[in-house]
Amino acid sequence: MSPPNDTSDGPILRDHVYDGIQEYDQKLPNWWLFTWYITMVWFVIAWVAYYQLGRGDSDVEQIDKAIAAVEKHRDEELAALDDDKLWEMSKDAKVVEAGKAIYSTTCVACHAPDLSAHIAGVKLPGLPLNDSEWKHGGAPTQILNIIRKGAPDLTKGMPPWEPQLGIQRVVEVTAFLLSHHEKGKPVTLAADSPLKTGG
Amino acid sequence: MTTASTAKTLIEFDDRTVRRFMIASIIWGVVGMLAGVFIALQLNFHELNLASWLSFGRLRPLHTNAVIFAFVGNMMFAGIYYSTQRLCKARMASDLLSNIHFWGWQLIIVSAAVTLPLGLTRGQEYAELIWPVNIAVALIWVVFAVNFFWTLAKRNEPSLYVALWFYIATIITVAMLYIVNHISIPTSWTHSYTIFAGVQNGLVQWWYGHNAVAFFLTTPILGIMYYFLPKAVERPVYSYRLSIVHFWSLVFIYIWAGPHHLLNTALPKWLQMLGMFFSLMLWAPSWGGMLNGLLTLRGAWDKLRTDPVVKFYIAAVTFYGMSTFEGPLLSIRAVNALSHYSDWTIGHVHSGALGWNGLMAAGMFYWLTPKLYGGKLHSVAWANFHFWIATIGILIYVAAMWVSGIMQGLMLNATNAEGTALVYPNFIETLTSIRAMMGFRIIGGALYLAGFILMGVNLWLTIRKGKPVNETREVAVIQPKAKDTMGMRDTFINDPVAYMFAGMVLVLAWLFLPPGADIAALLCAGVFSVLAVKKFREGHSRWSSWYEGLLNNWLPFTVLTFVAVALGGLIQIIPTVTVNRAKNVEDRIQQIYTPLELAGRDIYVSEGCYNCHSQMIRTMLPDVLRYGDYSRLGESIYDHPFQWGSKRTGPDLARIGDKYPHSWHYDHMMEPRSTSVGSNMPAYPHLFERKFDQKSLPKKIAVMTRLGVPYPPMSADEIKMKALEQAVKIAEELKAQGKVAAPDTQIVALIAYMQKLGKYDTPEVEKKLAPQGVPFPLKPALPDSHRKSVTQNP
Repeated sequence: MSPPNDTSDGPILRDHVYDGIQEYDQKLPNWWLFTWYITMVWFVIAWVAYYQLGRGDSDVEQIDKAIAAVEKHRDEELAALDDDKLWEMSKDAKVVEAGKAIYSTTCVACHAPDLSAHIAGVKLPGLPLNDSEWKHGGAPTQILNIIRKGAPDLTKGMPPWEPQLGIQRVVEVTAFLLSHHEKGKPVTLAADSPLKTGG
Repeated sequence: MTTASTAKTLIEFDDRTVRRFMIASIIWGVVGMLAGVFIALQLNFHELNLASWLSFGRLRPLHTNAVIFAFVGNMMFAGIYYSTQRLCKARMASDLLSNIHFWGWQLIIVSAAVTLPLGLTRGQEYAELIWPVNIAVALIWVVFAVNFFWTLAKRNEPSLYVALWFYIATIITVAMLYIVNHISIPTSWTHSYTIFAGVQNGLVQWWYGHNAVAFFLTTPILGIMYYFLPKAVERPVYSYRLSIVHFWSLVFIYIWAGPHHLLNTALPKWLQMLGMFFSLMLWAPSWGGMLNGLLTLRGAWDKLRTDPVVKFYIAAVTFYGMSTFEGPLLSIRAVNALSHYSDWTIGHVHSGALGWNGLMAAGMFYWLTPKLYGGKLHSVAWANFHFWIATIGILIYVAAMWVSGIMQGLMLNATNAEGTALVYPNFIETLTSIRAMMGFRIIGGALYLAGFILMGVNLWLTIRKGKPVNETREVAVIQPKAKDTMGMRDTFINDPVAYMFAGMVLVLAWLFLPPGADIAALLCAGVFSVLAVKKFREGHSRWSSWYEGLLNNWLPFTVLTFVAVALGGLIQIIPTVTVNRAKNVEDRIQQIYTPLELAGRDIYVSEGCYNCHSQMIRTMLPDVLRYGDYSRLGESIYDHPFQWGSKRTGPDLARIGDKYPHSWHYDHMMEPRSTSVGSNMPAYPHLFERKFDQKSLPKKIAVMTRLGVPYPPMSADEIKMKALEQAVKIAEELKAQGKVAAPDTQIVALIAYMQKLGKYDTPEVEKKLAPQGVPFPLKPALPDSHRKSVTQNP
């Protein structure tokens, strides 16, 4: 077979016939070759940049930085918060409304829409949040911390919500809960409260 | 060419086997697609999870296996048996082997259809079938291979046509992939544990899974395209040169791309990089196939108007081009961060399966049936109608999945402007937002199925009008010297092979050698490429004539193909299997499962939970905020099989342990909507009645120990005792939370497993003393360890 002759007009038809099928021997399309070469060059550049020149953070470095930023933001937010501030927020209709929206998607399954932890007389897994008896303390920052970090004994069912909701939403839910209570009203610790034995 | 022979012989092709495979493909196609429409309905209407054996987690593997291995498998065999005989000018070598192949394959399909709904599974996608069936698949595949290569050896046409190259690549590669990924140790007749664990299992599984797509759903169909498309349009193939370049690059590059299924996970970065960039480099070779198909039609575009067969082929090739463009796109790590675990991937595979495979199958069947049964197609109008509803069905399906996948992906990954909180913290909210798209998917799929059934009826009426015809043909018998004379020396020791091999070695040196040497290797590779191009330009005709010679020799061709497909896997898998082991893990190591937890894990696998839940928190902020700290490589190091998952219809479970009380899981498994309003998860009431399997636990733990999981020595009674003790404890804790469960029920074991997820120890790594003198300065190591030393030194 003669080598392909690029100067002839029209495509070269190979003379071999396979069950009636013949083949042209067209040149490879230039745009096709070009895009292919680009992908190869990109591979070489990216590999050299990352592995040989040490450019860019590794995945672990990137995610650790992002998480550190989230935690820094949270610490700043927390530093500005105390019991009084949270009581104040519970009077802010906008904050309470936002907290209510989160409560009604995230918390109602266990604590019921009316915070009673009962639906039609049936007890739900959560604790009631509308009475004055608190298991983990009724001070606004104590409530905030339970929502953030979950119950100390996770088998009791309260998971930590801060990662998923973010600190702002946790504050809003706290404000919503406080809006059902009044500042200065006495609170009692439940009989099985871990705070009692813990001192 | 050698046509001087005078001896002629009359042969009758074995078209009966072709007819059988074709009919089987159509029947199984209907079954597989029906299962698909049904599980799509289940995703929208959870009430349709009617019984344990009809639940989504068990039927989804049935759908995928039926479509891949039963529908496309039988279609592929029909196409290969038909075209190979004609391209070889020889009848299939053995009718006995053809029969064993056909009936064996159908038996395998039936056994899959029985075992999968029963929850008997290996728990790896498209590799679910249990070990006795695995052995049957391997044996039948060998029967097919022997029959095929024997036919090649007996051929009366010296030169191998491009379609045969693709068949060769298919047969040897599928055998390699299937066998390696299914190596397991049985614990009973219906259950086994894979020998690979965690990250190793992930890598091997997706090396297999990705290349099942490549070498089961792509290369054989490309071979079929190269035969049936020019036949139908009666035009020469566009470019022989393009065939060569795209065949060899496709089979070589495809193998490396598997890790793109594990991007942004705990898989070592170098493998992720290889997976991503080889996927990108694969785009052009894939499009080479599409171009050769589409451009073959040049000068015959009018046939597209009149001939439904050509319509199907051209649409199929177009869908092939579309999905092979989409594939590399989805392999870019940044895109994958959005698309992975979402419906976008589902849309992507369906544009391949319905568009490329399904339409190629339809075109081939419409063309073959009149030839195999004599006469004309019953109704061309019906075929045209089929074409349109199939195409519209695919477009609806794929568009719905694009919208759904992108929308849910964006929602799940959305963080506020400061990047400190998720915008949509509630997973169900994102599920609710794609419900409508999941509805459109049913419409698209049902339309496609309707068209396929119409084809079945059309072909059935064609068959009834005709009667089976076996083509006979007089062929010239070629002299033995005209083919298969190349020795191993001529095969391997020649310019093209030597240059390719040396170039390959230099590139690997660049990837794996320590700093300094790597750049030197890269520069050498560059210089070398220039030299190779120069040499090629000078000795162009020598290279071409060597290749022409190779085409006359089936065994050397097969050996070279095997070398091309074996390399990528070896280079990725061997370092992973040797390095990523428990003893080398530095930061976290998984706590081993207690007997009860292991029993629970086997229930999790058996129910197919992995079809909807991942256990892999990626190194991405939204994943970490939503599911917890990102998963480490060591945290699944004892998982046989790994359960990282590939789709999040529900949330990730890697750190679900201790997040909720037992009672939450109890309620959730009984009725998911009681704890998660708006969930589409099936209810699992049967777990509350059935007993977990205590009897097999000693055997299972013995196998696990053999696989390297450091269980303390325990007698069979101790194992059962331990399982029961823990079960009683959980039942008591459940009771304290107001829930009643017998300790020996499956729900108790499953809860034990769920509560274990995400538990790890921090091993005290013995600080290995750095070796004083390195014996050889250029010792290759993994790229990631080199980079570590780069960043730590300054």
